[in-house]
Amino acid sequence: MSELDFPWLVSPDLRENVTGGPAGSRASSTSQRKSSSLVLPLVPYFMFVGLFLAVPTVVLFTKAFRPVTGSTTSAMMEAMNESNRSSFVFSLKLSAISAVIGAVLGFVFALATSRIERPRRLRNLVTGFSGVAANLGGIPLAFAFIASLGAQGLFTRILFHNGIDLYGMGFKIYDFWGIVVVYLYFQIPLMLLVMMPAIEGLRPTWREAATNMGASRWQYWRRVGLPILSPSLMGGTLLLFANAFSAYATAYALSSGGSRLVPVQIRFYLQGNTITGKGNLGYALAAWMVLILLFVMSGYLILRHRAERWRKA
Amino acid sequence: MKRSTPTWEWLVIGVISAFFIVPMLAMSRFALQRVPMSLLGRSTLFKRWNIKGIINTISDDKFRPAFLMSARLGLLTVVVVLALLLPTVLWLHLRAMKWKMAAEVVSLLAYVVPPIALVVGVSGAYRNTFPWLVSSEYGLVPLYAILCLPFAYRTLDAGVGSLDLHTLVNASRSLGASWTYTFRKILVPNLLSAILTTAFLAFAVVMGEFAIASLLLKRTLPTYMVEAQGREPQGAMAVALLLLVLTTVLFMLIGRIQKRLPNSTSQEIRVSP
Repeated sequence: MSELDFPWLVSPDLRENVTGGPAGSRASSTSQRKSSSLVLPLVPYFMFVGLFLAVPTVVLFTKAFRPVTGSTTSAMMEAMNESNRSSFVFSLKLSAISAVIGAVLGFVFALATSRIERPRRLRNLVTGFSGVAANLGGIPLAFAFIASLGAQGLFTRILFHNGIDLYGMGFKIYDFWGIVVVYLYFQIPLMLLVMMPAIEGLRPTWREAATNMGASRWQYWRRVGLPILSPSLMGGTLLLFANAFSAYATAYALSSGGSRLVPVQIRFYLQGNTITGKGNLGYALAAWMVLILLFVMSGYLILRHRAERWRKA
Repeated sequence: MKRSTPTWEWLVIGVISAFFIVPMLAMSRFALQRVPMSLLGRSTLFKRWNIKGIINTISDDKFRPAFLMSARLGLLTVVVVLALLLPTVLWLHLRAMKWKMAAEVVSLLAYVVPPIALVVGVSGAYRNTFPWLVSSEYGLVPLYAILCLPFAYRTLDAGVGSLDLHTLVNASRSLGASWTYTFRKILVPNLLSAILTTAFLAFAVVMGEFAIASLLLKRTLPTYMVEAQGREPQGAMAVALLLLVLTTVLFMLIGRIQKRLPNSTSQEIRVSP
């Protein structure tokens, strides 16, 4: 572009050469090329996503809005009938409760870790470990909890020998609270990873200013700390919610496939769709999941954007 | 304001750490010790620890194909993801900044469509027109690539963004290097940290992926574990432990890479958004 710094100095025919003609320099001719050739290298990427993500999603929604065999209402509406609604309520409740508990514990964990100065390696150790644990999940995690909190689990037995009969109290690892406990294993570290940068972004000068003006510790947190952290806290909670809501493998393995989660219901409709003619219900349930996740993730992205306001400079 | 001995902090860290360590210990015991839970006590605590369970499972003739299939799918996914994203991200930064936003938003879509919905959509769209995608084991690769897209894009984008890309490319090109030479000898070495991080993350994700493989009835390592759980619980537990160790090692390697190599993307590494 530097050739065109003083375009008025160049004679008209020469200017044409510089801007577009084959005699122009490579750099300027590429930047001046038609946008079609600029986009060409991007085609594989967009095509791949289109083929394997966009088309399936569109098909999902078109099938979801078709009626179920022998009915006139669309499968989307049908999917909210009694039995299916109860599995949605179960999934949503599970995600919400594991998200809120995970967010609170993750925040406290992050706060505690950030306040400890010695040993210095502790912070790295905790964040490093959280990076692993937040990505765990799936079958190994379910197995680990069956081995520790299952009916014959190690921790269950230890508690039993100390006079606490978990299973006598009605706890089951594949029930609601059991799944919540297992999900916390990846929810707490994920929250820590979200909150750590936010907490470290709280500048000491803010606390000093508050203290100078006579604020107590409680007042500082109430009026300064928490308001600044609140977008991160809420965003993190939404992220945890989405994380739990789309999870499937862990709950499936815990309950040997018998859980009431929405994904398990989808599996049920899909595998029996030729017999019952209710295949469209599976599409509708999946479509509802996408809509809910779209809503939650948009909220998360907006809040994350807000949270970054305080982190500049 | 600072107190000399932080107490509640250590209490919190201790309790939460215990919550994270106990399941791992229990799992290791279950996989490595052949003492029934009811007989476990002070006297039997250190008895009959061995790796028979692991060896039994590894020699199981169904384990090998499942493990190898997962490993192959992992490698193929890594190749597809890098082949698809690396040129795209480089081009976006070099010539098509206008499209960056669109490409980024597109990469995030996979977070909105959970694996289960992805399978449902794919089988609805292609079961009749393109059955290979649903019937073949290797049909999982494109779906896994979609699964990896969000974090792979973010990692590579951050890696490329940390380079002075224009200067590097212009210098190399003006010294007479071809595009392929520039890519191989200039860009790839400079992006090694981001490339390896992406590769290890994608491999770890594929090795542990259950939802898609199970719905499409494929025999991969995780579906094998669930199936083996009923037959041979200790063996299944041993395999799960191995997978866990493998995942942990991969993530530790990622941590190392992030620290060691120049131009680290230096952001917390996670698969979720």
